[in-house]
Amino acid sequence: MNKKESIIRNILNSILPIFLAFVIGGVVIACIGENPMETYWILLKKSFLSSTGFMNTLHYASPLILTGLAIAVTFKADLYNMGVEGQMLFGGFFAGIAGAYITGMNPFLHKFICFAAGVLCGMAFALIPALLKAKCRVNEMVVTLMLNYAMAKALEFLSTGFFRDLGSGYVATPTIKESAMFSRFGRSRLTMFFVIAVIVLIIMYVVMKKSKLGYEITAIGKNPEFAEATGMNVAKKTIILMLLSGALAGLAGAGYMMSEQFKYTLNFSGTPGLGWDGMLIALLGGHSPGGILIAAIFYAALKTGSDNINMYTNVPKEIVALIQGLIILFLAVKFISERMDLKGRRLHNGTDQ
Amino acid sequence: MELINNILYDTIYHSTPIILCVIGGMFAYKANVLNIALEGMMLNGAFISTLVMFFTGNLPLAVFLAILTTLVYGLVFSFMGITCKGNVIVVGLAINLIVPAIAGFVMKMMETANINLKNVNITKYKINIPLIKDIPIIGSILSGHPPITYLAFIGIAIFAVLMYKTRFGIYVRVVGENEDSARSIGIKTDFYKYAAVLIGAFCCALAGVNLSVERLGLYTNDMTAGRGFIAIAAIYCGQGEPVLSSLYAILFGVARSLAVNLSIYAGPAAGLFDIIPYIIMVAVLAAVSIVKHKNVKVRGFKC
Repeated sequence: MNKKESIIRNILNSILPIFLAFVIGGVVIACIGENPMETYWILLKKSFLSSTGFMNTLHYASPLILTGLAIAVTFKADLYNMGVEGQMLFGGFFAGIAGAYITGMNPFLHKFICFAAGVLCGMAFALIPALLKAKCRVNEMVVTLMLNYAMAKALEFLSTGFFRDLGSGYVATPTIKESAMFSRFGRSRLTMFFVIAVIVLIIMYVVMKKSKLGYEITAIGKNPEFAEATGMNVAKKTIILMLLSGALAGLAGAGYMMSEQFKYTLNFSGTPGLGWDGMLIALLGGHSPGGILIAAIFYAALKTGSDNINMYTNVPKEIVALIQGLIILFLAVKFISERMDLKGRRLHNGTDQ
Repeated sequence: MELINNILYDTIYHSTPIILCVIGGMFAYKANVLNIALEGMMLNGAFISTLVMFFTGNLPLAVFLAILTTLVYGLVFSFMGITCKGNVIVVGLAINLIVPAIAGFVMKMMETANINLKNVNITKYKINIPLIKDIPIIGSILSGHPPITYLAFIGIAIFAVLMYKTRFGIYVRVVGENEDSARSIGIKTDFYKYAAVLIGAFCCALAGVNLSVERLGLYTNDMTAGRGFIAIAAIYCGQGEPVLSSLYAILFGVARSLAVNLSIYAGPAAGLFDIIPYIIMVAVLAAVSIVKHKNVKVRGFKC
């Protein structure tokens, strides 16, 4: 099979699910007596066709690029780090704490400390499933899924107890200091954080496509036993990958804290959460950095658009969450390769037993 | 004494939905289809049953529709994951996202944040067994639970028989252990996989009904709180054996019940008690895995 053909197939495999999901979403909108075309037009117009809207879209894409990458590095190695959500929350929370309680800092240094706090927390939280997977062969997916809940509860406890901002009318940590906030460009919400996310994306591109680690990720993903047999220390690589994933997730949380939220609330990452969005983005982008950038911008457009849907039409913005779920559902199936490449197909029958 | 009674009663109370998910999910586990949509299916059972109860007040209809719609999700899961050979983990996650999205959408249309069955008296669902209910300790374990709780515990026995004593159960296990050989002797592997997933969907629907209508008369979008994943952890720990896996589910029930009942004495740290059940499950999962792999001498990562 030639390269051009496979690129076309990858693109089609990403676009068909989106198309199907929007068609079903359109049917739902039509069922409640609204005009789907009009709704989608508002979505498109507000998130792409105005300069402020487009910059907002890029702003919302920034943390999603990072969570998408966090999922992609592990998925590519056939590891299922579902804990990106929890790692992101943990990183964001302590970046916020560092931002709020350290005072009188040089703005540059302060931001750096916040990022460091976020990254370290993300890595620390990813270390638990990584060690369990590498040393005890515990299924990392189950562990990370459960620890997400534990983390959400723990942070709820911390933000209602120790770190609660008593001046605020609802449960929240104190607002971070000005020196830790990213300033916005013009009237939009876009900040330097987007640039940082893109730089990290480029670094990850080099790591995944050009480095030894990137090659090993792919090899482990294809066949871990063979990778082990050729002399790779799969257990060690698993830990490294999980830590990398946790670091990216923590970075996403820290950046989101400093550029958008400024304090930890119980609804910090929204519903269904930046970590879950990252999963859609990684799948949509085919686990490649270039694809992730496009997918993140696309998804951020849905997010910016969903607020406007609420404002300008009678359609509840939950429709976007529905469309998102449907996209993931259809992405699970490779529509095209199924017919074109029946021999080389790898069966996905769950994870290791 | 009162405390012990409460802890024992709550153990049964909190174990029920997880036991149902476990006995439903273990068939899929044995058939080598990892069904992580248990969470979403349970939420769907809870949502549909509460919704139907809210509008009609007809309990049998609510249960029936909850089961029916959850089976539809089971079919979608099977079709995408088995017939189309999609990645079952991704399909499962998608269902876990779609269900709360639909529920959120519908509740937004109804202009409420949660569905509250104010006019339904949930105490009337509780079955108080005469005589037994007066015995201390045993009474609080055995009596005063809603019907699905009893079904769940009877279900453990029924499903254990179904898995080990019937042809259906044997075929499901054969399909999971070696699909190619199963196919070569003429077993319709896809049929058994579909059946395994649908059994899971059926049990999850009941778990959802138990969680929402029978126990609280309330639906909120985060009410399953990871119970489906805990069930998967329990299945992993018990390797899909019905009784063993159910015991792990009960272990979670104990942890949860202790957390709920003891948090009264914890003062400001009460919030932390919610974490304990999850931590315990992770610890148990690790311990079981260490024991399982202790004697594996082969150098290699997966086995």
